[in-house]
Amino acid sequence: MRCDDVRDRLDISWEGQQPVEIRRHLTECAACARFHRDLRMVRAGFHLLQREEAPEPSLGFAERLVRRLGEVSKAPSVADFFELAGRRFVYATLALTLLALLALAVPSTGPVQSLSAADIQVPAQEASLIYSDPMGAGLQESPDLAPVETPTFTNEAK
Amino acid sequence: MENSGAPIDQEIQWIKRAQQGDPEAFGFLVPKHQKRVFSLVYHLVRRRDEVEDLAQEIFIKAFRAIRSYNFQSSFATWLSRIATNHCYDYLRHVRASRVSFYWQMGENSQQELEANAESQPEQVLDHEEQTVLKDLVTKLLDRAPENDRKILALKELQDYSVEEIAEILNLKPTTVKVRLHRARKRMLGDLNQWREESKGHAL
Repeated sequence: MRCDDVRDRLDISWEGQQPVEIRRHLTECAACARFHRDLRMVRAGFHLLQREEAPEPSLGFAERLVRRLGEVSKAPSVADFFELAGRRFVYATLALTLLALLALAVPSTGPVQSLSAADIQVPAQEASLIYSDPMGAGLQESPDLAPVETPTFTNEAK
Repeated sequence: MENSGAPIDQEIQWIKRAQQGDPEAFGFLVPKHQKRVFSLVYHLVRRRDEVEDLAQEIFIKAFRAIRSYNFQSSFATWLSRIATNHCYDYLRHVRASRVSFYWQMGENSQQELEANAESQPEQVLDHEEQTVLKDLVTKLLDRAPENDRKILALKELQDYSVEEIAEILNLKPTTVKVRLHRARKRMLGDLNQWREESKGHAL
């Protein structure tokens, strides 16, 4: 048998009797015999420790504890503080993330691209064509039909 | 506050009241569970004078966290989990002396102790031998990696079943068995290595 197998088997039968083949190996292998002696010594130490009686609670332990708990439940604990602060941090992070996503998703000019002032402004040449009177003068004299004065138009008319 | 034999239904009512922030209700749970907590603390920490303070801190911690108890495991198991973690938090800050009485014995005395531990029931060992053995195992536990220490202490000192340990440590029972096996093997390997180191120092 291999020493590793023997040591595994020794551990499995930690509390029990060893099979014959293991005992035979232990008589032949000094290292495994040492391991077995250590195992039994440690096990004996554990048994001794296990049997040690833990100290008893002193008289009035539970009553004193309840008084402490009363004080503790009135004062906000560090854990409560971190829980509250943590929750606020999470909400703030979520809100900021949402805002950042919105800012990325929506184009800077808004959802519908509107015409800019430059688009509306009639080019000067075009304007002169529109307002030139093919029939002769008189249009400019009528205040109702006169085009709205824009700086462009006015300049061109001059 | 002698409610150590309180029926389960009663205990559930107290837990629910404690979850609403009622310290009196939590106080009714204490006598039933204090023995288990004291024993666990003592076996994990091994400082008799620290046990009561640590137990009190554990109960306060449990009261603060009781809203997270969801009745999936028993209250005793849930409390043991808090106690185990609290003890190891404490132990991380307090490092025990690494020198063992065992290494201060002569080689003949060591061999005699080993032979006695092997052939006699532990109670037949004399007082000094018992002290040396307990000290040796305590120091070995102290040297072990934290996960090994936890599992060995729960099994070998508290005598919890594999299933109970699995619940306390949030592991599968098969994982507990494997880890226990490895932890024992590592501890014995460490003892052997420690012996070699001690011989080296003695030379």
